[in-house]
Amino acid sequence: MKLINKLLAVTAISVALLPGVVSADCGKARLADFDWSSANVHTAIVGFILEHGYGCDVEVTKGSTTPIMAAHYDGQLDIVTELWYDNIVANYDPVEEAGIIRNLGINTPDSQQAFYVDKTTADKYNLRTVLDMLDPEVAALFTDPEDPSKGRMTSCISGWTCYTVNYVKQKVYGLDNYYTNFDPGSGGALDAAIAGAFAKKQPIFTYYWAPTGLMGKVDLVRLKEPPYNDACWGAMSEVVETIKAEGKDAYTATCATEYRDMSLDKSVLVSWADSHPEETAFIEAYSLPTAMVNKLLAFYEDESDGDMELTALEFLENSDDWKAWVSADVAAKVSAAL
Amino acid sequence: MVRKLLTYLTFPIIFVWLLITSYNSSRRKPDSVMELFTDLSWLNDWPKWLDIPLMKWINDGFKVFNEEYGIYFEIVNNFLLGAILSLKKFLIMMPWPLVIALVVAIVFFSSGRKLGTTVFVGICTFFIGFLHPKFWDKAIETTSIMIIGILICIIIGIPLGITMSRSNRVRNAILPVLDLMQTIPSFCYLIPGIMLFGLGAVPAIIATVIYAVPPLVRLTDLGITLVDTEVIEAAEAFGASKKQKLLGVQLPLALPNIMQGINQCTMMALAMVVIASMIGTRGLGDEVLLGLQQLNVGKATEAGLAIVLLAIVLDRITQAYGKKIQDRNSPPK
Repeated sequence: MKLINKLLAVTAISVALLPGVVSADCGKARLADFDWSSANVHTAIVGFILEHGYGCDVEVTKGSTTPIMAAHYDGQLDIVTELWYDNIVANYDPVEEAGIIRNLGINTPDSQQAFYVDKTTADKYNLRTVLDMLDPEVAALFTDPEDPSKGRMTSCISGWTCYTVNYVKQKVYGLDNYYTNFDPGSGGALDAAIAGAFAKKQPIFTYYWAPTGLMGKVDLVRLKEPPYNDACWGAMSEVVETIKAEGKDAYTATCATEYRDMSLDKSVLVSWADSHPEETAFIEAYSLPTAMVNKLLAFYEDESDGDMELTALEFLENSDDWKAWVSADVAAKVSAAL
Repeated sequence: MVRKLLTYLTFPIIFVWLLITSYNSSRRKPDSVMELFTDLSWLNDWPKWLDIPLMKWINDGFKVFNEEYGIYFEIVNNFLLGAILSLKKFLIMMPWPLVIALVVAIVFFSSGRKLGTTVFVGICTFFIGFLHPKFWDKAIETTSIMIIGILICIIIGIPLGITMSRSNRVRNAILPVLDLMQTIPSFCYLIPGIMLFGLGAVPAIIATVIYAVPPLVRLTDLGITLVDTEVIEAAEAFGASKKQKLLGVQLPLALPNIMQGINQCTMMALAMVVIASMIGTRGLGDEVLLGLQQLNVGKATEAGLAIVLLAIVLDRITQAYGKKIQDRNSPPK
């Protein structure tokens, strides 16, 4: 009986001691988080620095885009660390104009979506641009088991805009004579197909995007396309929309360019930013290259046992990139907490 | 006595071993084990080190498996894909009125020349293409995948059911496996399926078999167990061997139940059609998924109805045949 009492007492004390580090000058920082891994990485790193470097009381709320962004517009969440700005432009801009939120610039400067080939095959056959793929011998490397007369280009998911964009690009580049536009059915299936091809050391020609965890684990080479330009993209988008509405027969000749790099931004509540100038300056400076995010995501998936905090620690311990975002004494505080 | 004690001891030993392994393999354990006794805060929230590294074991095992034996799966893949493609090619090549006529003929004879059922199934078949011309080829693709899947189910399921009916031990071993197959979410085996077989119809067939074979096994087992002991005794009295008893008495009498199993198997296989399309399988499920992704209610419903029609056709064919046998087997009134 005495032992149990003692146990309880010790537990009670340790509970009471836990939240002892919070300092008064930052107060609450309510972070928004989403249900995909790259956003989780950014939130974990920013959260850790805010908590240990600035003494903020960090609170993370996780959900899907619509509810989380609604809460942000409503002033219930202070910071969004990864914002797919291009996708929500129509909703975001009016709120920003109203002076409620502020876009703090890009968090991943070189995010991308493109056509890729595994590095082994690309080096062996010197495949550098999409036009290099226009060769029956190359197509034979990627034979589609369901249509052996062509190669298989594993494409985007049918029903998503990128599927139709890829269809149009294939036509414009002439890829459709050599390759099928194969719909993998879902994002998970696309990942599994790429991972499976690498595990079995088979050639793969696929559409994909970064930052993603898989990109950090496999060696895919991006095939060059004509550089992005607005006029051409606009013309192509019109054809894409017509095809989406009327079916594949509605294709008309157009031009094609590479995908525009997506803008992944950060956002903050203006009221919070005004009362936290130092913290806001840090978030504004925060930016990670795609290669680093890929690497961290791969670490998260393979080595951390699904522990995002450990992934954030891995980054903070092994990289000095983050010290440029904060002042020296904040950096010292964060380092001390590692 | 000693043996019993040993069995009782094994479980605690395995449990303690698991505890130690999970502690050792965790990256978030305290600096020394002694801390666990001085700092009892780990009793508060579930500690991060108390975590069986099952995920890692499965991932590592699967990786080695895939790298070492991937080539064999490739062979299975090519074989099954060849079977599906040739069946599909054959069915698509046939003019559609001929396919409908064939379906009608099959139903007519398997149902014992019931005119009502035959006409109904004929109309259902016609309506699959009538809903949307695109659906005809898609329905044929789905059907070819289903036929191959059901054939595999029959090849695996019926012998398994027979073995189960003959030995209680085998039954006790197989029943939990069947339960697992029916309850584990299909995505758990779809993703490794893709990595082993590549995208497309083959992982979908494997998933279909895993999901649809249990009712066939169960009903085969049940059918044979339910055969009257008196009938079996009679067969034994005439000096029937085990094989004669099985082929001549048990199986024919269990046939209605087995047909019911095949029918259930077919229906469950159809339930997998939409999920299969999520891993790049062509067919009617594809259209449902597309409707869903484009928020096109009409498209999804139309394709969903086509799946229902296909289900009705397949159901009537298998059901009618089972009923015919049952009528033949039951004593005349």
